[in-house]
Amino acid sequence: MGGGPDGPGHLRLAIRGARGPRRRDRGGVSDVSRRQFLAATGGVAGTAAAGGILAGHVWPLLTREDLIPGRAPELTLEPGSWTTAPDRLRFAAIGDNGSGGRHAMAVATQMARTYEHLPFGLVALLGDICYYGNLADRYDHVFRRPMAPLLDAGVGFELAIGNHDAGLRHSDEGIAEIEAELGLLGTPGRYYSTTHGPADFFYLDSSEPGVFGPDAPTQWEWLDDTLAAATSQWRIVCLHHPLYSSGRHGSTLGARRRLEPILRRHHVDLVLAGHDHHYERTHPVDGITYVVSGGGCKTTRVGHSTFTATATAALQFLLVDIDDDRLTGHCIGVGGATIDRFHLRAREHR
Amino acid sequence: MSARSDAIAPPLYAAADFAVILAPALAFKFAADRGGLGDTKGMDLVIASAVLGAIHAVIAGHRLFDEEHTAHRRADIWIAAIDALAVLALAATLLPAVVLWGFAEEHASIANRGHPVVALWIGTQLVAVVLAELTGRAVFRWLEPPSAPEGGPD
Repeated sequence: MGGGPDGPGHLRLAIRGARGPRRRDRGGVSDVSRRQFLAATGGVAGTAAAGGILAGHVWPLLTREDLIPGRAPELTLEPGSWTTAPDRLRFAAIGDNGSGGRHAMAVATQMARTYEHLPFGLVALLGDICYYGNLADRYDHVFRRPMAPLLDAGVGFELAIGNHDAGLRHSDEGIAEIEAELGLLGTPGRYYSTTHGPADFFYLDSSEPGVFGPDAPTQWEWLDDTLAAATSQWRIVCLHHPLYSSGRHGSTLGARRRLEPILRRHHVDLVLAGHDHHYERTHPVDGITYVVSGGGCKTTRVGHSTFTATATAALQFLLVDIDDDRLTGHCIGVGGATIDRFHLRAREHR
Repeated sequence: MSARSDAIAPPLYAAADFAVILAPALAFKFAADRGGLGDTKGMDLVIASAVLGAIHAVIAGHRLFDEEHTAHRRADIWIAAIDALAVLALAATLLPAVVLWGFAEEHASIANRGHPVVALWIGTQLVAVVLAELTGRAVFRWLEPPSAPEGGPD
């Protein structure tokens, strides 16, 4: 390579050519120089645009989302093999598992494997059960396929509504999607309570219409009344948005302001949430332990707050064992390892 | 440019080309590792991208080498090369992301059939490689059009 006729100073000529008089542009050197200028400018602009798009949008997407389709678990489980004694209950809780991707399948597979050794008859879904589309279209892929072993074993699923917390606020589309989810999951309503063995469960709708819509006070009054009438030894509240979180979204302060006095007044034991894609457990706050179990298919960074007892960004689900007046929670990772274990004792007055 | 930089620049460019193709797969692998899937999850995509990246790095290196022998101006080679790399960086990352995000339902239906997911991944990155290669060659050809033969056949 010998440098060419224009030599190293040619780029200067190129820039000059772009600004220079057009009368020299018929063929020859300055026409080529103008092309160089355009191509170089296009390259620089393209590189800057590519860098901006990649750094601002695409890379966060790749490192945060669960976009690679996953293989569904192919286990066959013994149906109905869990304990049904009135003072005992084992259940799982999982949030934000609606991708249908590899990570979601890995967590679902681990749930099925855990069932083989520690069978449970209930899964509390903590919201966001469908990403990248609506549930009516994606039901099979984001719910039926990953949970097939558990569904076939007769495990029950109860859903805390959590979708459409950002882009579909108060919209008809958002409410229609919520209605579709409720219908597909067989959930009795947007907020409801159930009883399993020694525990009462209270499922809330913390989506934007649920928390901040015109019907929100009705839901809080319902919770107040239903908790007041609760008679079981354990009271567990499930909702999508965490009242305490050190993650990407953080604590949902609006919901905390409205909910916390009710939870405190009725001595709730455990509050399970998702939304932030990590696992976090608080120290008891006024006797209430708050758990974020949102690592159903994605992970995002989590910090430590004054209320944090333990926190980690991991794909996980929660397994809770209740034996009379003792409750033990296990945060289980995709490899089957226990990430966290905690113990609660039932309130003395119950 | 010195003789030393002449020798170093094409391999550096080939290495950058390789890294740009490999990076999206590494991002997915990083996400899997962070979540606790520290085994083979994501390695299939890393291997697929590494193979494709290695092949294209060789092709891109050869392209530069060939252009150095035919170019009248060294600047033309590198302008075309940077344009191609910009297209590659954007397309090799954006195309798989858009295809996976936008057609999640279609891809989920093939996930249980084994290798089609890897084939899909390679396919989208191959499109990016082709776009980049076309860009590099077209820009170079535009900057250095083939000389018209002097005098025509009688």
